[in-house]
Amino acid sequence: MGKVVGIDLGTTNSLVAYVKDGRPVVIRDDSGDGLVPSVVSVGAGGTIFVGREAQRRLLTEPGSTVYSVKRFMGRGIEDVHEDASLFPFSVGGEKGGVVRIGIAGREFTPPEISAFVLRELKRRAEDHFREEGEFDFEVDRAVITVPAYFNDAQRTATRDAGRLAGLEVLRIINEPTAASLAYGLDKRNRGTIAVYDLGGGTFDISILKVEDGVFQVLATNGDTHLGGDDIDRLLVEGVLDEIAGSAPRNPAYETEGEGRVPRSGPAALIQAIRKAVIQAKLDLSEVEEAEIRVESTTGLPAGYSRRMTRADFERIIMPLVERTLGPCRQALADAGLEAKDIDEAVLVGGSTRIPLVRRVVEELFGRKPHSDLNPDEVVALGAAVQADILISGRREMLLLDVTPLSLGIETMGGVMSKIILRNSTIPASGREMFTSFADNQTAVDVHVLQGERELASDCRSLARFRLRGIPPMPAGMPRIEVRFQIDANGILSVSARELRTSIEQTIEVKPSYGLTDQEVERMLIDSFEHAEADFEARLLIEARNEAETVILATEKALRRSDFEQIAAESLDPGERAQIESALGDARRVIADDDREQIQQKTEALNQATRHLAEVVMNRSVREALAGKNVKDV
Amino acid sequence: MTPDPIPLRSASTLECRNCGAGAPVDEHFCPQCNRILALGRYGDFFAFLGVPRKLSLDPQDLERRFRDLSRKFHPDYFYNAAPAERLASLERSSYLNDAYRTLRNPAARIEHLLAIEGLPPAKSDEGSVKVPPALLEEVFALNEELDEIRELRESGGDEAQLRARLDRARAPIERKRDEHERRIQELSARYDSQADASPAQRKNTLEALREQLLEQKYISNLLATIEHEQSQITNSKSQMNHG
Repeated sequence: MGKVVGIDLGTTNSLVAYVKDGRPVVIRDDSGDGLVPSVVSVGAGGTIFVGREAQRRLLTEPGSTVYSVKRFMGRGIEDVHEDASLFPFSVGGEKGGVVRIGIAGREFTPPEISAFVLRELKRRAEDHFREEGEFDFEVDRAVITVPAYFNDAQRTATRDAGRLAGLEVLRIINEPTAASLAYGLDKRNRGTIAVYDLGGGTFDISILKVEDGVFQVLATNGDTHLGGDDIDRLLVEGVLDEIAGSAPRNPAYETEGEGRVPRSGPAALIQAIRKAVIQAKLDLSEVEEAEIRVESTTGLPAGYSRRMTRADFERIIMPLVERTLGPCRQALADAGLEAKDIDEAVLVGGSTRIPLVRRVVEELFGRKPHSDLNPDEVVALGAAVQADILISGRREMLLLDVTPLSLGIETMGGVMSKIILRNSTIPASGREMFTSFADNQTAVDVHVLQGERELASDCRSLARFRLRGIPPMPAGMPRIEVRFQIDANGILSVSARELRTSIEQTIEVKPSYGLTDQEVERMLIDSFEHAEADFEARLLIEARNEAETVILATEKALRRSDFEQIAAESLDPGERAQIESALGDARRVIADDDREQIQQKTEALNQATRHLAEVVMNRSVREALAGKNVKDV
Repeated sequence: MTPDPIPLRSASTLECRNCGAGAPVDEHFCPQCNRILALGRYGDFFAFLGVPRKLSLDPQDLERRFRDLSRKFHPDYFYNAAPAERLASLERSSYLNDAYRTLRNPAARIEHLLAIEGLPPAKSDEGSVKVPPALLEEVFALNEELDEIRELRESGGDEAQLRARLDRARAPIERKRDEHERRIQELSARYDSQADASPAQRKNTLEALREQLLEQKYISNLLATIEHEQSQITNSKSQMNHG
């Protein structure tokens, strides 16, 4: 058996963690970075880039680079129509079916894109275990987290992504619950906790009761379409607005509806603006005023710059932050509690670094929220803990989660009839009786829904299936019991029996917004066929990382305050020019997809700086010794 | 309740799928081989949780039983078990969750008791179609008042005034609710004390409880309507502010 990990598959960033000597730890790269940007890019020849590398390509290859794919998981094109226009990649698919993302002449479903991210995390973990000297370093099983408010289709899509990445998904757990598990490790005390999780693309609130190591979720609520992404989008739209207002009309902007609301622009421009506003957003969590600065680019030759105060920023994002309050109140009400009953509030997700968000949470619960654990990492840590519980069978801790949305079926007149209510502890099951409307009718159609609205058309369509093989009987005679089972992952399965005859009914469930098993199989085969291109991508990334390390080290040496002195004392004439020329070469090729070029230029730069490196090293050693002598005296 | 799908040896024992031993129907684990048993029967949440069939239950005791059984059944702990045991764990956990959810809530507890005692369910749609005679007067007055408030709201009436009227309209309904609450508690206590009474007497108590439950649901619907109207007032106000 291979290794087991916990994975936080985020909208913006993903992480992998595991339990080492009883403690969960995040697996980091060589530079200590635990975050893998959830970005996937397709290069020339079908090479797949994931993470930081793909993130860089957002600016250079926006049309073939996918980000925030989590927003599309388990959704149909009609759900994401509004979003799709702002994304620089093409988002399509048939109405009532899975979203298809078109990049670089290939078409991917969201689970396939997510699988690339998962595969990268799997590889990162395997590298780590190999380096640790583990003989059995293969990672074959994982607990993957999802927003608590994810519906069945979104959970299933996440599980499919795991399968596509070659992982057995031990369990899908909810992000806020995972966070509470990580927080609850040390304090086995009892109490009522509110976990406020505002991430890149989703918002969750979960109210938990912790007692005797049982983490029982009382209620959960949220919005799977609310997060840092929306803040970025508001800011991007603001910038586009200003540009369109000040510049002569650019045909690249389409106006939609009433008013002057530019909805799209050249992909590279949108990415450049997005990068700039994200930087400003991050800065404004630290300082009172920041600059949004977009360099000159296609569609914006003059560039763009604007100062923004924290007060401006807060005014812009206030409506979004306020949208989190409704779900919080609903969750409290569903848990039968008031804000004052909450003993601790915990912050999760990168967007909770925003001071305004903290203030709003503090006001709501009347207490300072906890954020002792890194809000970016706490979910992955909890996932690792849950993975450990599952494989070890240890019973000190137990998560009891709930299903976020009611489950039901469409009945006469298009009404939603609820079978399992929201906030029911999972696993949960429900039964419903069906019968026939005509004599000798042998099949009945069933439409499974999820949601809180009265009308079936306002709820999420999960699946349609046909009960077949009903024994021929007069109308109304058959008694078919359909059993709905939501497992501990929050995923539904359906079975049926005719009670008079005890005949088990065949059910073919056609997921409304998911992949069939056959589709997943086919994708698995496809992914093997592309394994070679992926391997090549890996090598390219490694070459580029190596080049970057050497370039950074060289630049650092050249910037030393004593560099002029070193050059005069120790370098040969012309050596400095050689170094600078080699450095220029390396910088020029690093962004290209030509691995051999990158490796050659890196090696040349290595050669050119070997002597300089020795000189610098010797000086450092001398200085260190000198310092020591002084101290010793 | 639907018939159960598990082959029972008799009305009171079921068969362990692992070792074939017979087990009392309300046991969770086989007394012979200790494996988790397939769910024996549907229907009696009281027996499943091991509490007496009474309407007054200690919530703390109930919660402790729920946690203890969760730790015994939860699928987390059967990850490496045989498929039959995994299924049994899933079934028992689901059933436990349903049982706890039902018994924890006093109204749902009464309904469950009605069901296992063979009385028709106190269906909510039954209540919403026909106004219970005991509530006719209040319902009539409330509907009239709500109509007027709605009209005023739509023509942009003063918010504070609307709220005050709504609060006044709510008061008698809330009084009714409290009255019903007390009555239900009395009847529940009576049922609990009738352990040795005749079946007819107990049935009488249950019938009365059922009646009260129906009316209580109707009252809840009325309060929800008032709640809805209140949010409408808030909405129309915020629309004006942002518009």
